[in-house]
Amino acid sequence: MNARKSIGEIFGFFFFLGRRTGKIRVFALLGLVPVALAVVVRVVLHGRSGDIAAVFTEILMVFFLQFYIVILSLFYGTSVVAEEVEGRTLSYLITRPLPKPAIVLGKYAAYALLMFLMVAVSLTPSYFIMNAARLAEPSLYLTFLGYLGVLGLGILAYTAFFTFLGAVLKRGILVGLVFGFGWENVIQYFPGSTQKFSIVHYLKSLLPYRPARGGGGRLALLLFKLEPTSPAVAVLMLAVVAGVLLALACWFFRTKEYLYEE
Amino acid sequence: MTAVITATNLSKWYGNVLGLNDVSLEIERGITGLLGPNGAGKSTFMKLITGQLKSNIGTVAIRGRKVWNNPALFAGIGFCPEHDVFYEDVTGFEFITGLLRFYGYSASDIKERAARALDIVELTKDKDRLIRGYSRGMRQRVKFAQAIAHDPEIVILDEPLSGLDPLGKRKLIKLIKDFKSEGRTVLVSSHVLPEIEALTSRIVLLHQGKILAQGDIPYIRELIEAHPHMISVRSSDPRALAARFVGDPAIQKMTFGADGRTLVVETHSRDAFFGRLIGAVLEGGVEVEEISSPDDNLQAVFEYLVGK
Repeated sequence: MNARKSIGEIFGFFFFLGRRTGKIRVFALLGLVPVALAVVVRVVLHGRSGDIAAVFTEILMVFFLQFYIVILSLFYGTSVVAEEVEGRTLSYLITRPLPKPAIVLGKYAAYALLMFLMVAVSLTPSYFIMNAARLAEPSLYLTFLGYLGVLGLGILAYTAFFTFLGAVLKRGILVGLVFGFGWENVIQYFPGSTQKFSIVHYLKSLLPYRPARGGGGRLALLLFKLEPTSPAVAVLMLAVVAGVLLALACWFFRTKEYLYEE
Repeated sequence: MTAVITATNLSKWYGNVLGLNDVSLEIERGITGLLGPNGAGKSTFMKLITGQLKSNIGTVAIRGRKVWNNPALFAGIGFCPEHDVFYEDVTGFEFITGLLRFYGYSASDIKERAARALDIVELTKDKDRLIRGYSRGMRQRVKFAQAIAHDPEIVILDEPLSGLDPLGKRKLIKLIKDFKSEGRTVLVSSHVLPEIEALTSRIVLLHQGKILAQGDIPYIRELIEAHPHMISVRSSDPRALAARFVGDPAIQKMTFGADGRTLVVETHSRDAFFGRLIGAVLEGGVEVEEISSPDDNLQAVFEYLVGK
């Protein structure tokens, strides 16, 4: 089988398997949090569209961008290789006529799509519930697609990073936690070019940030230091990060021996 | 006969632990049994020849082609891992069809092959049940089914009989033998001599990562026969029993057990000893309650061979 077909078959198998696991149910339930929040906000701030927009921006930044896609990518990305080693099911895959990189790429693609669907299922109702008063405005839909696109790019970049960690390290998830919720949360607020060493910087550069009324509190203060990169460069950087880390993950997976713990 | 699998000076270590030590072996068509106690290096050897591990020294080739990172080779190899591990949230049928997708078959071919493999292992009735709910025997059989579903020329089975009940073992032994009769190459590992014996007469004995002996069953049997056997006889009067055997050339040594009711005999000729024992019982005066052979196992043979 050629590499493309191999990737496709691995993708199909793990997209199917991924829908059966308990993990997807837990994360899908987590995705209901912003939907519930949207309903509450809509009821409490009824008629105050400016406030609603500001709250949604915070939900987008804090929940989706800095938590949901990071935690999803962390768990799914590191598990691309690690779950096969820990579950000892790797033997079923690497004794098939499949190029090893196809296993990584196919699983990565399957999990990225699953995560994107979970994010879309969570973002869509929360966005439209909060913006129910503006459903007739075409710009609403364009903005929504933009948000979805940025989150999709975030999933691709973060998952590539965590896939790489899972392929290289035995306990990649621990290092991933430090990176996702430590490094990424801190470094993005550093002034100057330091913040460009985080993935979230490029994602934020693609979003039109609207500070909450009255200064926006803690978040606005922190985001005040964002020195955005141009959208084209941000997209390019995210693509490069994802591409390079995936290539490295494939290379490690191809050359490294994975030993089961006895 | 030409070797199908060739290992040359194969060594593999895990940190400071030696997994396999300078093993050279040629495996031909038919069934070859890899025999050895736990930790002997059987699984390491099987992982090396299925490209799951890379040797530190030496080479392994299948039909002259290197194994490591050579996926094309695996179209003709079926591997049944030792561990009881699966993608648990799928049915037996989905498990087999899912893995068959990796061979490039058409959808109808995949279904047909999966159905055939499940039929061979008698799981057709349970094919739509989740693997999570399978019994140990069913899990072992579905694991075997995934190894043969693509009709491989070479089948490598790591402890396939472990955990099976006697009936299950008999069925699986028959299946493996059927494979041999179709002209395939089967390598099967076990730490139980009778299991291997039931499958093949060609045996490789592994111990502490090294080949201790290889040959056919009669040769291995000869090694076992040359090994002094310990036979424990529980009797109401072990001293009277011992008196009957004093000076018997078939007996090397006799000792009494701590319970005061057991006579432990060391003999080079089990058959001769049992003949004398039956004679003693028939003559009367001696009552035998139990006979056991504490060292009649593979470990004892290994200990004997290692000490030889």
